[in-house]
Amino acid sequence: MEKKDMKSVIKDWRLHAIVFILVCITEAIGQFSISVGPGVILLLPMLYAFFLGLGLYFTPLISEKNSKNAEPLIILGVTLLIAKIGVTIGPQIEAIIAAGPALLLQELGNLGTIFLALPLAVLLGFKRESIGMTHSVAREPNVGLIVNKFGFDSPEGRGVMAIYIFGTVFGAVFLGLISGLLATTTPLHPLAFAMASGVGSGSMMAAASGSLVAAFPTMENQIVAFAGASNLLSLSTGLYMSIFIGLPLTEKLYSLMMNRKTKKQAAVKEGRNPNA
Amino acid sequence: MLKNIWEWTWVLLIFGFAALFGNWFGLDVLPWEAIPGMLVLIVVSVAGLALEKALPWNMPAVGYIGILAIVISLPFFPGSEYVVAWTEKISILALATPILAYAGISIGSNWADFRKLGFRSLIVAVAVFLGTFIGSALIAEVILRWQGII
Repeated sequence: MEKKDMKSVIKDWRLHAIVFILVCITEAIGQFSISVGPGVILLLPMLYAFFLGLGLYFTPLISEKNSKNAEPLIILGVTLLIAKIGVTIGPQIEAIIAAGPALLLQELGNLGTIFLALPLAVLLGFKRESIGMTHSVAREPNVGLIVNKFGFDSPEGRGVMAIYIFGTVFGAVFLGLISGLLATTTPLHPLAFAMASGVGSGSMMAAASGSLVAAFPTMENQIVAFAGASNLLSLSTGLYMSIFIGLPLTEKLYSLMMNRKTKKQAAVKEGRNPNA
Repeated sequence: MLKNIWEWTWVLLIFGFAALFGNWFGLDVLPWEAIPGMLVLIVVSVAGLALEKALPWNMPAVGYIGILAIVISLPFFPGSEYVVAWTEKISILALATPILAYAGISIGSNWADFRKLGFRSLIVAVAVFLGTFIGSALIAEVILRWQGII
């Protein structure tokens, strides 16, 4: 945790009152879903709250100071979210153990994001943002980890939030579209995609496995069981996978790529062959 | 340390208050029914934050919080049935809404940086989701074939 004057954060009643009102209004509005092909775009209260909060920053209601005071609230609010995920996993521990080695090992596939997206992010010119962006699919535990380690107002924090916002808005519909598409166009087995559907978000898992069921109705029960178990595993192991493998690996690969890049640029500057 | 614990508790109480009302309006759970669960989550969070400070290992607070929460909700842990029953009253979405409200307000101050992410970050986001999905499916395919399940 950064050294911030927590007293002034706690006493910023204007900020807390505004958030309280935002939460009440947005939750009262409730959620809407728009069907797009095999998936749905879910419009959730948290999305309205995010965009309304952002909009308020540009009004006199929220000052620069209020905005800065909001950061510790995010960091601590995320700890409650992690606690909630934890107490959801505990009662299911037997189901998780019974789910078996295939489920466990396919979790390593979540690291695929690092190998596919990190080089792309660096190529597109992202600096340390790319670490936050590509170390995982940026669900709540991963956001918590990055915010906890680098702070919300850091390049890594901005990176992870960009992917988080994308995932929150389009994650379900995107995975819903590509799971049906990939399962019908590639030689991989539908059950392999069922396991892949459990990325650690209920709505994404539901959308991705839903279109698999639509494409392969005879395998419905198996698809749903595999996807659900994998999602539980992602929820329970995803955070620790990120702490011990994903994030260190991303940082390592990032520094390797940046070293190569700076060496090449130096070589070009001196008029030497960069690939020598 | 005591001062820290006091401050964390205050911040979490303010946050929890908003979440309880969101839980009420959004999910029709009366705030007083959800109070015990919220208190459990707050205690676990504060304990995890304190452990991060007190212990020498380089593990973030969210790691301790996750482990603590899993352990106290395991079926054979004494009193876990209360922990599970109380915390079930609080929806994860109700916790996410105030976080995103604060996040929106906070992002305002670095909106210029955030906007720079722009279109390029959309491309990266698509690659992130594709990478995870295809990576998991490939490994699952290999193991399931090897086990003879498919």
